[in-house]
Amino acid sequence: MATILTPQATGKLVGKRVRRREDPRLITGTATYVDDIQKPGMHHACIVRSPYAAARIKGINAQAALALPGVAAVFTGKDVAALGPVPCGASLPGLRVPHHHILAQDRVYFTGHPVAVVVATDRYIARDAADLVEVDYEELPAVAAPEKALAPGAPAVHPEWPDNTAFTYHQEGGDVNKAFAEAEVIVKQRIISQRLIPTAMETRGVVAEWQPGDKALTVYSSSQIPHLLRSLLAGMLGLPENRLRVVVPEVGGGFGSKLNVYAEEALMGFVAMKIGKPVKWIESRRENFLCTIHGRGHVDYYEIAAKKDGTILGLKLKLIQDLGAYHQLLTPAIPTLSVLMMPGLYRFKNILADIVGVFTNCVPTDAYRGAGRPEATHGIERMVDMLAAELKMDPAEIRLKNFPQPDEFPFATATGLSYDSGDYEAPLRRALELVDYPRLRQEQAEARQQGRLMGIGLSTYGEVSAFGPSPATPAGGWESATVKIDPAGKVTVLTGASPHGQGEETTFAQIAADELGVDLEDVIVLHGDTAVVQYGIGTFGSRATAVGGPAVYYAIQKLKEKIQKFGALLLESAEVTFTNGNCVCNRNGKSVTLAQVAAASYRAMKLPPGEEPGLQVTYFWEPPNFTFPFGAHIAVTEVDRETGRVSILRYVAVDDCGNIINPLLVDGQVHGGVAQGMGQALYEQAVYDNNGQLLSGELTDYAIPKAGMMPWLETGHTITPSPVNPLGVKGVGEAGTIGASPALVNSVVDALSPLGVRHIDMPMLPEKIWQLLQQGGQA
Amino acid sequence: MNAFEYAAPTTKEQAVGLLADRWGDAEVLAGGTDLLSLMKDYLPTPKRVVNIKDIKELQGIKYSSATGLRLGALATIEELLSNAAVKKEYPALAQAAEGVSSPQIRNAGTIGGDLCQRPRCWYFRSGLGYFPKDDGGKDLIPTGQNEYHAILGNSGPAYFVHPSSLAPALIALDAKARIFGSAGWREVRVEEFFVTPNNDGDRETVLKSNEILGEIILPPAKGIRSATYEVRQKEALDWPLAAAAVALKMSGNTVQSARVVLGHVAPVPWRSQAAEQALGGKAIDENTASEAGSAAVNGARPLSKNGYKVQLARVAAKRALLQAAQGGA
Repeated sequence: MATILTPQATGKLVGKRVRRREDPRLITGTATYVDDIQKPGMHHACIVRSPYAAARIKGINAQAALALPGVAAVFTGKDVAALGPVPCGASLPGLRVPHHHILAQDRVYFTGHPVAVVVATDRYIARDAADLVEVDYEELPAVAAPEKALAPGAPAVHPEWPDNTAFTYHQEGGDVNKAFAEAEVIVKQRIISQRLIPTAMETRGVVAEWQPGDKALTVYSSSQIPHLLRSLLAGMLGLPENRLRVVVPEVGGGFGSKLNVYAEEALMGFVAMKIGKPVKWIESRRENFLCTIHGRGHVDYYEIAAKKDGTILGLKLKLIQDLGAYHQLLTPAIPTLSVLMMPGLYRFKNILADIVGVFTNCVPTDAYRGAGRPEATHGIERMVDMLAAELKMDPAEIRLKNFPQPDEFPFATATGLSYDSGDYEAPLRRALELVDYPRLRQEQAEARQQGRLMGIGLSTYGEVSAFGPSPATPAGGWESATVKIDPAGKVTVLTGASPHGQGEETTFAQIAADELGVDLEDVIVLHGDTAVVQYGIGTFGSRATAVGGPAVYYAIQKLKEKIQKFGALLLESAEVTFTNGNCVCNRNGKSVTLAQVAAASYRAMKLPPGEEPGLQVTYFWEPPNFTFPFGAHIAVTEVDRETGRVSILRYVAVDDCGNIINPLLVDGQVHGGVAQGMGQALYEQAVYDNNGQLLSGELTDYAIPKAGMMPWLETGHTITPSPVNPLGVKGVGEAGTIGASPALVNSVVDALSPLGVRHIDMPMLPEKIWQLLQQGGQA
Repeated sequence: MNAFEYAAPTTKEQAVGLLADRWGDAEVLAGGTDLLSLMKDYLPTPKRVVNIKDIKELQGIKYSSATGLRLGALATIEELLSNAAVKKEYPALAQAAEGVSSPQIRNAGTIGGDLCQRPRCWYFRSGLGYFPKDDGGKDLIPTGQNEYHAILGNSGPAYFVHPSSLAPALIALDAKARIFGSAGWREVRVEEFFVTPNNDGDRETVLKSNEILGEIILPPAKGIRSATYEVRQKEALDWPLAAAAVALKMSGNTVQSARVVLGHVAPVPWRSQAAEQALGGKAIDENTASEAGSAAVNGARPLSKNGYKVQLARVAAKRALLQAAQGGA
């Protein structure tokens, strides 16, 4: 089923390395971000935030702030008590949902918790005035780590729930007790997926404008989900949804952190309505680190059971999820995604998982590139490697032994998923070929002879993508497209997905241009404005191309039927084919152009029976299943024995994301994804001290990888089309991140294995490696 | 940042006249790579910022084989890095400058600014001061998140490490700092320029609040072999975890005298006389370098999470010595 490498172009444009149409405006600085928006009379907001992780608010005195010239207003919790709450879109049995006010009421729950908002005529006055707001706090004990929060006697994050437990969740499949009873080998490991800070280049920002004459509010926000934001914001503010317009201008990165509805979005709407002036709030980098969601935050206890020949029998997981102080939009749902992906790419059918969702006095965790799936993949890929080490098997061999074969698809997993299509051996074999695996192992043996610590790490990852069928998702799981052809024959695509850097302005134009037989330049793709675009869901979970793309495709198919009918009318023929942008009479070969058909459809002198004038179709596409991309990454590393420093010698990523619409963009997604996975593996961690102060509170203390630290990435592809959608695409936005961290950790563990090292938790800082070298009796 | 008054004097006399009698009221701005980010975090909130970049007298780099090297405090790191004489005669300094990344920071950041950088300690940068304490008044750092803190000179109350990239090399090369104040010039060895603060109002150098660092003077380095070695987690936009700068006066193949200075291990750049003595009269090889490395961290007292830095400092010293012995002037 799989074809190897070099994606073949399937159309004139689809399959080609078409350069991104978004880039000229981005690299010439002419794109419009939220902070570029200026409105007459615009005011600026600055938010007063709690310096404590837990405290009682005994009083707020804003008199000095209000006295500062230029300050228009100060609002506090009591002003907005009736608004909100900040919504949690996830539902789980027995889930405890704290009421999340848009400004703190009598208590703060994390450092950075919004307490008041100051509005002034300029940004600097607002910031100065924020310092003049006196908040009288009584500091309370805080707890900032999930296992500490579960310990008896820990401070209660929410006094009403002294056990700090937001929910427990149990899932099992097959017969895990039998699997473990029959096992010949069992390996156990505690594995941490540390808290990460998504660090989009553009922080969040909101501009809100109230038109009192129309009783209408416009909110500009840096978001991944304009329509869902509109629906939820309307509820928070008590506005009819049709009087709320959400505009998402250029977005400088989201990575899941803007797949959310935040207090500040409602707050700015409230302020604009209250003062009758447009208001802007731009998040500072420190606020971004303190108050925008974090990702990951797992402590996982794994047990894997297998036979001596390497056949995996079953997997147990106890997952402790650091939720933070509140549920943001999807907070409690994220670890359930980890459980869904627990089996990885392997055939075993016996699983048992228990999640404990834990409140801590930290900013909430939520979806961050991969959202639950990197954690799961890291777990299973570490466990499979540990099992291989225990059985003295080659890590490639144990994987090949446990993959389902291509003829077993659709493959039903123990967690209730149906993997759409797959040839899991193909990318692994390709990656092994690219690194010349036997020779590489030989080199490693020689390096070890010389006392060098060289490692080879594999990860074969899978992911559930393209969220998803509506019954399986918290909001709708469909996506929408409107395709319209104007009277001159030019094409406009409105997508409900809200791409923000992924490049669908290019890929959707490629699809439309091929399907309609027009030039790329004749197609434009619009998105992100609820007043312009029909309702949509948004871009997250590698879904925009895999769910939004088919919506464009089906809209065009319906449009083509209409084009043919108008063409038939013009050609006075019953048998007409629409091809290469022309309607051609099958009998006499006479043709009319799309522009002629379009003009006639709007002029409407004659209409095909039962047809409306104009050429415009809206299509909402509901996918029948998720898609399941997969791939194999190999990292070759060397550890400096004296300093613990890890160097990446080679990095090979072979991904299978189904059919490829634009290989250039797929490579870009893989590169960016691997960089973020590498960040987690080697550098990044959100560090809170015991009092809930975020120590890694700025970019000098939070180590995202820089361009100069990236290894040369050798990428390859296998192509196993998805049967879920007509384009055969699977999605690739998160693949690199999911595949990278286990490949790197497996590699470094392999490097250190001669010293008896079995596992390293991320990030693999020199400090940790030194500790391990110490324990291995080496210094 | 808070609103402030801005002054841009063109002479050093005007500059010191604009500074304040106590710390906190005025801050000196040169490259701004540290000060502006600190001000954005409301750490200093000066009433006046004195930009000294227009003082011509404090700019530039001059070298003469007879008198040595004169570095204007306002010369940028990039100027230092691209100076041929520095590369040839003072490799430890050139290598230290190379570690300062990115190009943007090298182009804006000054030599004086590098020496006057405030601590990178994340408690300090989070607004908790030099000496963060828990509710009971106990120092937070010794049992807290101290993985990047001091392993030497850390008997309290300061536990941060001095962040200067150039100081270890300057000390190894026996540089002097010239300081200008209302009473005129005064001179201290760079080694004595740094002090460990004991009170929240203190600073990390001997500068008074109304003085400016004007220039750095290095003696000629004929016959000196020098090198800097930094152990880093990241190649770019980060500070080393540990660093060492060494300068060796050789007599044939053996060391006549040595200076070994560690960076990022103590609240001040840390000169190790034990390491220097360990090298006297010896040829530098893997063994002697390794012994000197171990001597360099003599007396190190790691905190709860930074024991690894002892090893890193030891390796940095060893590798700097090997590098100096192989290359150097």
